[in-house]
Amino acid sequence: MTQPSWWQRFSVRGVFWRQLLRFAILNVPPWIEPIVMASWSLFFLMWGSARRAVTRNLGVIKPGSFAIVNFFRCYRLFWNYAWTIADNVRFKEARTIPDWEFTGWKYFQEMQERDGGAILLTAHMGSYDLGAHLFAETSSRRIVMVRAPEADPETRAFEQDRAAEGLRIEFNTRSTDLAIDLLDVIREGNIVAIQGDRVTGEIGFLPATVFGRPTRVPAGPFALALAARVPIYPVFVVRLGRRRYRLVTARPIELVRSRDRDDDFRRAVEQWVEELEHVIRDCWSQWFTFEPYWPELAA
Amino acid sequence: MVYVRAVLAGACRVTMNVIVNRSAARWLPSRHRFALPQLVAFARLRRGNPQDADGPDHLILSIDRDQSAAESYAVAVWVFVTVAAYLAAILPIPLPLAIIVAIPLASIVIHIPIVVGGPTLRIILGDNDHVKIVSVGTMSLLTGWSFYVARGHSWARFVGWFFFAVLACNAIASLILWLLRAEVDEEENQCAR
Repeated sequence: MTQPSWWQRFSVRGVFWRQLLRFAILNVPPWIEPIVMASWSLFFLMWGSARRAVTRNLGVIKPGSFAIVNFFRCYRLFWNYAWTIADNVRFKEARTIPDWEFTGWKYFQEMQERDGGAILLTAHMGSYDLGAHLFAETSSRRIVMVRAPEADPETRAFEQDRAAEGLRIEFNTRSTDLAIDLLDVIREGNIVAIQGDRVTGEIGFLPATVFGRPTRVPAGPFALALAARVPIYPVFVVRLGRRRYRLVTARPIELVRSRDRDDDFRRAVEQWVEELEHVIRDCWSQWFTFEPYWPELAA
Repeated sequence: MVYVRAVLAGACRVTMNVIVNRSAARWLPSRHRFALPQLVAFARLRRGNPQDADGPDHLILSIDRDQSAAESYAVAVWVFVTVAAYLAAILPIPLPLAIIVAIPLASIVIHIPIVVGGPTLRIILGDNDHVKIVSVGTMSLLTGWSFYVARGHSWARFVGWFFFAVLACNAIASLILWLLRAEVDEEENQCAR
């Protein structure tokens, strides 16, 4: 394996920015935080590829919108992202938890109280670890979360070193083994949480139409639900304001096995996309997708 | 894979102060840092806050003195505008241009006590109180600067006077809260019960 160049730590996904964020959390008085956040969100607007991708994605979510308006919307998204990752680090370093509101509480309760396991399908919204913490606080079940590894090896090591106490992280790239592990987890009556809004790396996918344009969503959660015969609960963590989040649980997606597997998947994906579109339309400034989401935008 | 059971185990080793399904708890004075917002929150709490019919299905409110967004943003804007005004007043360029230059400059200047003071104090004091000292130190520097500006003849002296007016209001609020401390405690306990 080649050693990364020293300057790569300063690239946008490099470890330097994680270290700087941790430094800020440990040293910035809370009443100065908004100034620091506003400044650094502005600084990160220089991240051209992400800015352009977000602006293009917003162009699809809000058809007919002006580029200049989407530029300011892009700033709002960066601002939300900055607060979200800061809240995440603050929880890890100081155990500070934000306020939580729940909508769809009955579905959330149903997911926790049902006899078998379940799949929790979420999107790149809000804070991953904070959401995990909340589930753990309110659930008597083990929740296993599947995530893509950090692209930068140093950043990955940094995050692993600073994971919450006792937190076990496995970035399993052997998809077959992972699928079997997850199936076992569900069969033991636990919950598997997966981000199902975009395909990262070499993973299986299903075709979908999001905001009227063709794209792909991960096939894993749907295949797992069909194999384990458990429902999929769409859950979204939405940032409402400073140290304030809403956990939205939508109607579960029931995959019914029929003779036509493709049709089973198609119906499930349609329901997932409907929920996803609904949340993204309302909370476009919370959807942290820094690459062109639709293949035609990337072309 | 992340085993969240382990997150729970780690988190539960610390005391987490939360209040569940009481929207009135948003106005607990202990969710605010400075005396003036604490007093305002206490007044709102006493006035009563009927449960919001359109509110969330379930609510968990964290009890932390830096939890109030309104307070945090208000103080941040106040500090930023104050620093930007002082900088604009000393820049040797026409005022409209000075204001434009002062805005990014103020952001950099506000970072200086954190970048310099934070790590230094952390080395000396360890992890416990250094943010508090950075906080007090930053506010003291701003107070000293405001004192200097308020005594001068530039237009920024009005900003300095306003700064001291806010400090005075906060001091009065602090005194009132001290006099009402038993009632504040009772009201908070009643809400948390």
